[in-house]
Formats: sequence, structure tokens, C-alpha cells
Amino acid sequence: MARELQQLGFKVFVIAGGLRAWRKAGNPVERVPDDDLVKLPTFS
Amino acid sequence: MTDLLSLISHHGYLFLAAVCFAEAIGLPLPAALALLTAGAVAAYGDLHFYLVFGVGLLSMMSGDLLLYFMGRVSGWALLGILCRLSANPETCILRSAEYFYRRGKQTLLFAKFIPGINTMSPPLAGSMKMRLSQFLQFDTLGAAFYVGAYALAGYLFSDALRAITRGLRSAGFAAEVIFGIGLSAYIAYRIWVYRKYRLLDVIPRVPAAELARRLTSDAAHNMLIADVRSHGYYDADSERIAGSIRIEPNNLIEEIKNLPKDREIYLYCT
Repeated sequence: MARELQQLGFKVFVIAGGLRAWRKAGNPVERVPDDDLVKLPTFS
Repeated sequence: MTDLLSLISHHGYLFLAAVCFAEAIGLPLPAALALLTAGAVAAYGDLHFYLVFGVGLLSMMSGDLLLYFMGRVSGWALLGILCRLSANPETCILRSAEYFYRRGKQTLLFAKFIPGINTMSPPLAGSMKMRLSQFLQFDTLGAAFYVGAYALAGYLFSDALRAITRGLRSAGFAAEVIFGIGLSAYIAYRIWVYRKYRLLDVIPRVPAAELARRLTSDAAHNMLIADVRSHGYYDADSERIAGSIRIEPNNLIEEIKNLPKDREIYLYCT
């Protein structure tokens, strides 16, 4: 995906280690807003 | 199969239990073949048929229960991991959940006979908060049907299995050669793909600490952090990097329209 964006002319970087590394380094995270959550069906 | 006959004759129930449990938790071991063979060994009188059935059933149920509770505890994370093996992880989670919601109970009855579905069903039932009593009811029936069908077939057709075993001895070498060629080709392909993308890998990688530093600099207004996880947005307590936006990987064409070309975009997943 990063490569696709780069080919389309976007200035793209990849965060090494992703969210895990970000969190491990003690940087701030936030809860995903309800509007962004995908609602999957449950039996309860 | 000759080896399997020998193993089951010598190690009997323990071997059968291990193979059935392993298959139930998704390891690529042939429980059906082990049950078939155990059924045949029971017909020869070396094992008891009812014990073969009981051991197979309990082992399968143990593996299923383990995955059920893992799904229950981990929410959608376990399914996300299993779906990474599929061609399209996002679609895999959505379709699996919707299908299982509509036909979950019936699915549990025949899931054991379908590779892939057999491993997906218990964690799906757990993730989707199916009641334990209901899960046990349908999963027990499904497992009993599966174990019973193969063990009984082995028991009833034990003579035919002996003949097949003799035939397999000569076919075995050819199968091993074909398997070896296939495995070598697959490894060569993976190495080719790895080298190709490594050579083309020109996307700059930024360590988390460096990004945090940049975010406190004057350049911060020119930066955009984007979450491109294909899954991770299903649990209510999901987290993401503070201030980041979501780019839906499966809807990239639409998402691109809203992305600024004059800003640096920092992508992350996991």
C-alpha cells in the first residue's frame, strides 16, 4: 500500500514497528472513535 | 499410512488424542486419517472402538474449547490473526462474521469436514459471544459426527485399508518425490518474491522515537499519521496513535481522494 501511494506521488513513510513500537516507546495513543469502529454481529 | 498404522498400533490412544487435538487447534495434521486408521486397528482388536471414539471426541472438543475461549477473551484479535493467512484479511473477517451469524449453528455441525472452516468456527463462536452451552451442544454433535464417521469407516473397511496400505507402499516414494519438488518450488518462489520486494523497497522507515520528535517540531503541521491496519477496528477498546486517521486498505481508490499530496504521510499497522 505504501508503494502504491508513493507511485501516485504521495510523500510516504512507514513507522518502523508500527503501533506496537509506538506504544512501547511510551507515546500517546487514543481510543478509536465509535464512528470508525466496524460493527460486527454478535450473538449476545 | 503404513507408518500411521504402526504408530497407532504402538501408541494407540495417546497418538490419536495428540493428532485430533492438534488438528482441532489448526495444526496441519490429518486427524481424519488417524481416526480412519484407529478404526481399522480397532477392527483388528488392538484398540477398543468405543475408546477410539471417546478419545477422538474428547481431544477434538478440547481443542475447540481452547479456541472458543481464546476467541471469547481476545475479541476479534484471534480471528484477525487467522485471517492474515487469507488473501484478503479484511473481507475474511467481515464475511466470516456475517456468515457465521446467519448459519453459525449449522456450520458447527459440519465444520469439521471442511479444512479451514474447522479451525475458524470455534474462535468465531467465542468472538461472537455464542453461549457456551449452545456452542457445546452443536460442536459436540459436529465433532461426534466427524469422529464417528471416520472411525466407523475405518472399522468397517479395515480389510480394504490393508490393501490400500500395500498399494501406498509403492506409491509412497512417488508421492514423496512430488511433495519434495513442490516444496522446493514454493521455497524458490518465496525467495524470489522476497528479493524482488527487498530490491524495490524504497519506502523510508521512521523509528517511533524519531516520529515523536518530529511531531514536536515545526514540521508537525505538515505531517499526517495514517492507520492502515486491515483489522483492529472491531473491538470497542481498540486503540490507535493519537491524532492519526484511518485509511481503509480495501477502499484505497476512494481514500486517496481525501489525502493531501503536500503533506508527509506516515503509515503504520499492527
